[in-house]
Amino acid sequence: MRVTVSDDFRRSRLTVFFRLLLAIPHFIWWVLWSIAAVLIAIANWFATLVTGRSPDALHRFLTTYIRYSTHLFAYVYLAANPYPAFVPAQGYPVDVEFGEREPQRRWVTALRLFLAVPALLLAAAFEGSGFGGWSGYPGDGYGGDEKSFAWGGGGVLLVVAVLGWFVSVARARMPFGFRDVVVYGLRFLAELASYLFVLTERYPNVNPAATPVSAPSDHPVRLTVTDDLRRSRLTVFFRLLLAIPNFVWLFLWTIAVIFAAFVTWVATLITGRPPETLHRFLSAYVRYSTHLSAYVGLTANPFPGFTGTAGSYPVDPKLPAPEKQHRLVTGFRIFLALPALLVSSALHGLLVVSAFLGWFASLALGRMPRSLREAQAYALRYSAQVSSYVLLVTDRYAFSAPVLEAPEQLPGPEPPPGETPAVA
Amino acid sequence: MPDDLVLPEVDPASGIGAGVVEEAEEFESFLRWSFIASQLAALAVLVVYARRGTRFIRESAAGRIGTGMLLGMLGLALVWLSQLPFQLLELWWLRRHDVWKAGYLDWFVESWALLAAEFLFICLWLLITMALAARFRSSWWLPAVPVFAGLALLFAFLYPYLVVDQRAAPLELKRDVARFAERQDTEPVKVVVEETSEFTSAPNAYATGLGPSRRIFLWDTLLDGRFDDGQVRVVLAHELAHHAREHIWKGIAWLALLLLPLLGGVAWLTGRRGGLYQPRAVPLALLALVAGSLLLSPLDNAVSRELEAEADWIALETTRDPAAARALFRDLAREALEDPTPPHWAYQALATHPSIAKRIAMATAWERRKE
Repeated sequence: MRVTVSDDFRRSRLTVFFRLLLAIPHFIWWVLWSIAAVLIAIANWFATLVTGRSPDALHRFLTTYIRYSTHLFAYVYLAANPYPAFVPAQGYPVDVEFGEREPQRRWVTALRLFLAVPALLLAAAFEGSGFGGWSGYPGDGYGGDEKSFAWGGGGVLLVVAVLGWFVSVARARMPFGFRDVVVYGLRFLAELASYLFVLTERYPNVNPAATPVSAPSDHPVRLTVTDDLRRSRLTVFFRLLLAIPNFVWLFLWTIAVIFAAFVTWVATLITGRPPETLHRFLSAYVRYSTHLSAYVGLTANPFPGFTGTAGSYPVDPKLPAPEKQHRLVTGFRIFLALPALLVSSALHGLLVVSAFLGWFASLALGRMPRSLREAQAYALRYSAQVSSYVLLVTDRYAFSAPVLEAPEQLPGPEPPPGETPAVA
Repeated sequence: MPDDLVLPEVDPASGIGAGVVEEAEEFESFLRWSFIASQLAALAVLVVYARRGTRFIRESAAGRIGTGMLLGMLGLALVWLSQLPFQLLELWWLRRHDVWKAGYLDWFVESWALLAAEFLFICLWLLITMALAARFRSSWWLPAVPVFAGLALLFAFLYPYLVVDQRAAPLELKRDVARFAERQDTEPVKVVVEETSEFTSAPNAYATGLGPSRRIFLWDTLLDGRFDDGQVRVVLAHELAHHAREHIWKGIAWLALLLLPLLGGVAWLTGRRGGLYQPRAVPLALLALVAGSLLLSPLDNAVSRELEAEADWIALETTRDPAAARALFRDLAREALEDPTPPHWAYQALATHPSIAKRIAMATAWERRKE
């Protein structure tokens, strides 16, 4: 299964403004279709269990349903502009293509619902607890009826869609980053649906790099990842407790940072450039909080130092030197940062769920699954960008695209043998 | 307490009941052996950790002290794991004898929280010792003693404010304390009730705090009707005596004295691994610290028993009610299943209070002196 994207970012202000209302006929149709899809998915499960392969007719129906769902929610979440067809046709800007039917192992089929639990938890991070068009994938066991359309906690998709709605109404364009986040989420959810409906036994991949979109970015804040995925079971088991002294230190440092940031804000407003000493202090804080989050979230293995020294940790944000900053942007910085803070908070959910799942995986395997690590690295990179923006380390707005084009090789610690440094 | 005081022989079963005494002996014997086995297990784990724990240095990207903290915390984590079976066994035993009420989940959460507190403690300990080792090298333990004594003072001062489940004591208890304070020639101390009955049925009380934070904490299990007013007054007078005779200050002074050989020993042992300046010495330091504390605990306990005996005597002088004191100690033995006459070796090594038999004997001795 693969997702294709041919969207050009342009949006019609009128259809964006009324998007939810316009989608009502689709929602009705989709609910009806979902009921049928549940029944057929159950039949498909039995058939695949017996024959080891999904029957052609059932496979066709369910793949069509997933394509339709993808089109519909790409439309609702503003990842695409055209009104989708009620029977999915080729050429929709965000589309799903399915390969030939594959043979499937019977035990994986039999245990499908249980095996899907980790992916369902990740899906919850994308969807949030309430507005759950996608949680309507029938048979996913945690929603799917009309009640789940009620407004609820902010998953990544919902937060990005709401913010994208304002931008699209104002500028008639969906921002690069937001569109790509939605595609990332829809791709994962489509893979999850394929897995739950027993169309494939390939497990949903939460690695952002598996999304067929990448955005150009020269954002000065990037994340260098030289982690080798190895995890010490003992430190993983006690990870939260081991981080307690760091939490205490972060708390104390945060108090100092609040004052330092205020002084920096005043100085930058006056001189147009943050004072070098304060910039260094705030940069160290951004680095340290990222190191600590990476440690607690199992994105990296070693116990982090307390000073936020550049290049001292396998998951390390690369931050810019003090540079000239626009006074108007500086003046309204905290208000301007609100949308980015919302997205960051939603991505934090992804980080937490990945950490929760990674804890079990690392204990069992002594390794962190790469896909989880990469999802976390994305959330951490965005969080570092937001912090840098709020704390006046840079005046470049955080860029939410999960995959960046042409990652430049940044100076940093030597990677372990056989491991290439990744830059998120 | 008079120097010439001779305690009379008393029958431990008298007033308690032979059956209860037998049960208390069995109850405490089990806990005693479990404790010894758990300490041996902890030492065994720490010996292995002292030899092989340095491999965890590679799990740290922190500097010298940060890495030391990680090694310290991991050592305690391994000890915690080694203690789990013993703790579970003890919990089962306490629940079987209705001394502990809380469930296994509550116990686990509390144990986890306690481990978190231990982690913080060891991090602070290593932060201080490793920082001092950077400045004073092998003589770090000399300045460390006043620093730790100062921290103990600070903790003793703050502790009353850190107890979560506390409420004001009934008015009559406050009046009793004011009256007793006059007799003991000291300032009245605030009395508060700590709510512990949710977890345990064992009665208890303690004196804590320094200066303005001085408090007497009575567990609500002491006020649930099992003990009459006279018995509670003996407890109050005993705890007030701790404050009147500055036992908390004396306890900290003893601590400082015991820290000298303890920290000196740690410094001497870790010198073989480059001193506590080096994180690789931390696993060995942990072993030395725990082993040294165990070795010094009989001395520490002897001091504690002496202070408790003095408080018992002052309580008798204050309440002038030896019958209530005897009844209290008998009921304590019954309710907390405390062995009135523990084996001599266990008493010397582990007991922080005089035995129930000795406390009853002291009440009788006081009574005879006044006759």
